[in-house]
Amino acid sequence: MVLSGTLHADDTAALAAEVKKKGWIAFPARTDKGDWDLFLMRPDGSRRRNITNTPDANESYPLFSRDGTRLIFRRLARGEAIDGNDYGRQGVPVVANSDGSGAKALGGEGELPWASWSPDGKELACLSLKGVTFADAATGKVTRSLKRSGFFQQLTWSPDGAWLSGVSNSFGAAWSVGRMDAKTGETNAVSTTDNCTPDWFPDSKRMILSNRHASDVALGESGWTQLWMADADGKNPQLVYAEDGRHIYGGHVSPDGKYVLFTGNPQEDGDPANGGAPMALMRLADAPVIGGDSAVLRKLHPNARSGPVLTLAKGWEPCWTFHEITFKQ
Amino acid sequence: MPDPQLSARGTVEITARLAEVPEGAIFKRDLYDYAAILKYEVTAVHRGEVEPGTTIYIGHYNPWKPRAEAADKKVKGIGGKLREFRGGELHRMALEVPMDECYLGGIVDKYFGKHDGPAYWAVWTDPAD
Repeated sequence: MVLSGTLHADDTAALAAEVKKKGWIAFPARTDKGDWDLFLMRPDGSRRRNITNTPDANESYPLFSRDGTRLIFRRLARGEAIDGNDYGRQGVPVVANSDGSGAKALGGEGELPWASWSPDGKELACLSLKGVTFADAATGKVTRSLKRSGFFQQLTWSPDGAWLSGVSNSFGAAWSVGRMDAKTGETNAVSTTDNCTPDWFPDSKRMILSNRHASDVALGESGWTQLWMADADGKNPQLVYAEDGRHIYGGHVSPDGKYVLFTGNPQEDGDPANGGAPMALMRLADAPVIGGDSAVLRKLHPNARSGPVLTLAKGWEPCWTFHEITFKQ
Repeated sequence: MPDPQLSARGTVEITARLAEVPEGAIFKRDLYDYAAILKYEVTAVHRGEVEPGTTIYIGHYNPWKPRAEAADKKVKGIGGKLREFRGGELHRMALEVPMDECYLGGIVDKYFGKHDGPAYWAVWTDPAD
């Protein structure tokens, strides 16, 4: 299965060569033993390697610390399916070196939900029914808290430390994307059309998010989820990638802000309970890109390109660091 | 004889008339759990501090399911005998307030911007007609 946003093989090969040495991508994927482990690979898909190798457990939701030296992720019982809406609070939080070594649980079942690194890697911002909490990344001990103000999933701390993003129910849509001031707790809407999986650009001024865009639903389309970017105050929304027949989730911008990773799956939730979805990578300078036939989309976005898009292995919720990871053999 | 679950759960117990089911408020969507905010006119207060005759807004979890089947691993401790939400019908309910302290997830609120104050959270919902 491949994402179909690519025009010419040469263009795709050039994109692959361009990103090959730009650090590493971490992602969960199903192994040949049937469990989910964490993998690393180069952004062009090469040098793929399993870094957890835990056939009795599932691992998901890896996040690199901003300096790329550590990962935090969730470890679940093998029999527990990864839930596309709840993955940030399933299982136990585990911190490891970014090559997977030194893995250590930082809490118990369900603790440190939706944990996201502070810029200096010393704290974790977490989200639960009780609110947004900030915990010491070494001990897991909570040091301060804020009201959650409707935020309920996919909390991410901005690279400059000033903001949090998340999915919120307080802006009139069931799944809005919001921004929260990390000191005061004040919030604003970023996008209010059924949204999810928000993440930050490196400048902390823009965000990438998945969006069930209203115009397509209004035109009678089934409302395939699209990848959009917007200023963090909600202004200047722009299409990044869309394809009829695939839901685009898990947008993650490269540390230099030039590329974006995402997944594209015919299943509405990205299918984490099964095999995940093909991941893909494109240049943000090429946006907007429309994949496949997508006739209505092409009419709505007549200036959109068709690629290049580099299709990668199946996975789910990938993340990217430019840190040069060395592996202990 | 009221269901004993009603008096055993929540901090508020009322009988109220469901004003309507707004278009798009209740839909079946297997992959995404949500709560819908529904508008009620309170006809009787059995427990707690609510004024009879007032309009309140109540969140029901996955309202497309019969209440007896609504609880799951994410939202525990809810239920009731009501099978379907229909406008104009009377419900007897055990409630908690505010909803935000009980529920973490998507909320479909067709009354967004039209009501003040916290929404209630439906813990137990029985028909009362």
